[in-house]
Amino acid sequence: MKRRLSIGLAVVLLAAVVAVVVWGRPDDAEGGEAGDLTVVRGVIGSEKLAFFSDRRVIDAFAAQGLQVEVDTAGSRQLATSVDLGRYEFAFPSSSPAAQKIQRDRKTTAAHTPFQSPMAVATFEPIVQLLQAAGVVVKGPGDYLVLDVAEYLELTEAGTRWDQLPGNTAYPARKNVLITTTNPAESNSAAMYLSIVSFVANGNTVVGTPEQEAAVLPDVARLFRDQGYTQNSTEGPFEDYLAAGMGKTPLALIYESQYLDRVLRADGSIRPDMRLLYLAPTVYSKHTLIPLSDKGDQVGRLLSTDPELGRLAATFGFRTNDPRLFAEVVGDKAPADLVDAVEPPSFETLERLLDAVGT
Amino acid sequence: MRTALVVTGLVLATLLTGCTGEPDPATPVGPAEPGVLRVLAGSELTDMQPVLDEAAKATGIEVKFTFTGTLEGAEALANGEVDGKYDAVWFSSNRYPAGIPDAAKRLGNQVKVMSSPVVLGLSTSSAKRLGWAGERVGWGEIAEQAGRKAFSYGMTDPSASNSGFSALVGVASALAGAGNAVDAGQIVAVTPQLKSFFGAQSLSAGSSGWLSEAYQRRATGQDPGAQVDGLINYESVLLSMNAAGNLPEPLTVVYPSDGVVTADYPLTLLADAGDDARDAHQRLTDHLRTADVQRKIMETTHRRPVVPGVEPAAAFAVRDLVELPFPAARDSFDALLSAYFNEIRRPSRTLYVLDTSGSMAGDRIASLRSALVSLTGADDSLTGRFRRFRSREEVTMLPFNTAPAAPRTFALPEGDPQAGLAEIKAFAEGLREGGGTAIYDSLSRAYEVMGPLVAADPDRFTSIVLMTDGENANGSGLAEFQASYRSVPEQVRQVPVFTVLFGEGSSAELGIVAAMTGGKVFDARNGELGEVFQEIRGYQ
Repeated sequence: MKRRLSIGLAVVLLAAVVAVVVWGRPDDAEGGEAGDLTVVRGVIGSEKLAFFSDRRVIDAFAAQGLQVEVDTAGSRQLATSVDLGRYEFAFPSSSPAAQKIQRDRKTTAAHTPFQSPMAVATFEPIVQLLQAAGVVVKGPGDYLVLDVAEYLELTEAGTRWDQLPGNTAYPARKNVLITTTNPAESNSAAMYLSIVSFVANGNTVVGTPEQEAAVLPDVARLFRDQGYTQNSTEGPFEDYLAAGMGKTPLALIYESQYLDRVLRADGSIRPDMRLLYLAPTVYSKHTLIPLSDKGDQVGRLLSTDPELGRLAATFGFRTNDPRLFAEVVGDKAPADLVDAVEPPSFETLERLLDAVGT
Repeated sequence: MRTALVVTGLVLATLLTGCTGEPDPATPVGPAEPGVLRVLAGSELTDMQPVLDEAAKATGIEVKFTFTGTLEGAEALANGEVDGKYDAVWFSSNRYPAGIPDAAKRLGNQVKVMSSPVVLGLSTSSAKRLGWAGERVGWGEIAEQAGRKAFSYGMTDPSASNSGFSALVGVASALAGAGNAVDAGQIVAVTPQLKSFFGAQSLSAGSSGWLSEAYQRRATGQDPGAQVDGLINYESVLLSMNAAGNLPEPLTVVYPSDGVVTADYPLTLLADAGDDARDAHQRLTDHLRTADVQRKIMETTHRRPVVPGVEPAAAFAVRDLVELPFPAARDSFDALLSAYFNEIRRPSRTLYVLDTSGSMAGDRIASLRSALVSLTGADDSLTGRFRRFRSREEVTMLPFNTAPAAPRTFALPEGDPQAGLAEIKAFAEGLREGGGTAIYDSLSRAYEVMGPLVAADPDRFTSIVLMTDGENANGSGLAEFQASYRSVPEQVRQVPVFTVLFGEGSSAELGIVAAMTGGKVFDARNGELGEVFQEIRGYQ
């Protein structure tokens, strides 16, 4: 009896798995279904997995004769520990990691098809509180920004939410802190560190060991006081979306994460949710380093193919050609962000990340 | 097409062979197979089985569980016991292993599946009496009422179970009030308040499941132990108990206004997992995070959805909860656990009734000696350090064979337990086997010995451990013990007996003894006696 049941079940399972093979991502098919497409393998920062897994993106590459298969890795790991010999392109999410790979691989080739500034996802009551505290201000552009210098001052004093004057909206007995990911494991935390170290260094990119030592106490606290942090930027952003203000009043994210949700219009961005830009901010520059001719072809297509550009914009990325981003995003985001700075060198950033992670 | 057939065949094979979890994380559940995810997990995930059964039908991915505790799991990760034996780990949170570098480096892609905050559940009448029904109160007020013994509660051992660990961290963070992740210095500062708070803890357990059962049995009068007013546990456990409808009055969930610690159940691929496991993890987590499955999880387990856009059920009375910062560093965890066991919680009184009959000769008596010696500080592992006899504990040894021997009581003074531990160690090493087996005369003797000890100092977690490797052969039998137990003074009758099956110990009789005294049976017949003695520490 039990055996007959299992065989019955097997028929159901067979149908299910076949369906996956036929309709699933081409990389499930282990080359069997690739037909005459050329397979190109790359390793990417996990922020772009949804883009590369999207049916429309797969089709756009197929139209050019390519089937792109990707593995994901953290941008830090990509620049240090991942064996790139297995891949035809590396696609980290930041320029310092890309520069390190270029140096190691002795190549100057690179494509920067899209980028995304770091931003903070928050809620209207929090925006009002921080406006009253002078931390959120109207920036040089026509949008609200979180003034990082003011924020550093507030956090240096260990200010708790319930100590903000007139706070009835969010009187939590915990420090005013932006929720980030683990600096040891995640690119977004490295980008955040680039911003706060710039401001703590008197609005100059940190470039010397003396400057590193000088900014460390101020920037390390921003991570240490948070305690446990998650290892992927999806973590805090999902908490923000699903659990709400109590858990994550301020989540450090890529602008693209928020715009992706806005453009999907799936109801996950509720009316009281707000996106704040950081002043200054840095751009997470998604930089593709080709490791072969086929890898280079992927980079060129991403940079020049209008269909792929439009698709990247639907995932909230700012495209090389600003018109594509503007067409897709419209007035849902400012066209230009005026106050952007450069991250430190890979080596400086590595040392800072190691120091704040301990 | 060929891939599909092979995968299906393997799934079918695993369905036919079935799957059962071994309790030891070092025991492999089998070799890596496509379509199978070998998962080292927290035992509370048993309630996900119906969801995972459906997931297997939908995705072809079968989950093979092996269950273990929070600290044990972190330790298995850190010392490499999981390498090559598991594809993934799934605990209520990764916060503990993330604080241990050797464990953290083995964690790969983490995907949150569901969430549940650790909160206080009080019987409806207790909540009304305290004025907390439908009100928001902070941990400070809860600690104040606890200090006045205005209510009592049960909680799991924070070194064995994540709910207890989360509660300890949450209360300490909230009481410290500093607003950042609590550190060792702050823990020292809030120790007096934590003592007040944990003074009201009247029930401890090594597992969340037993804690709920013990609460229910005491509430309905099935157990001799005193009724408990509430439980600190996951919201999901409290709501599940209400939904099961076996409580005389439902639990009112109190959501502390200053914050909670929330379990988020990340299904975490191991960093060294192969491509098949990576693919299986991806497909399974994609499935578990679809809106329909998130709703199914919510209905089945009473845990909250983590995927945006899935509307939480009305049963989650407070939706927007402040999350307390959780320390990232292991030294903070260790300071907190050490303070909890040696200074904060009510001290234990532990009486061991130990079979030293002739049948214990050889390996068995050696196991018994080493099991006891490891509790005196010989075991320096992550878990062992928190399972040893603690400062302020009172330990009585009552060996027996044809008749009970003279009991010996050891005191472990606060801050200076070393001399007492050395005495226990010497006593354990001096145990010799010989003679018959008088289980029930010895157990009756244990209750007699407890009488004056309990009367002199009633405010302790008091319990008896009864270890035997055989059948009762001398003196009174079970029926006589059952009759005499009724005349044991009430205060002493509430002392539970944790029975340990060893060798040819009689499971039926020891089960009856555990059930009638509100204890629990532990089986060391196929395992290490030392591990079982450590596990029992969670209940003492």
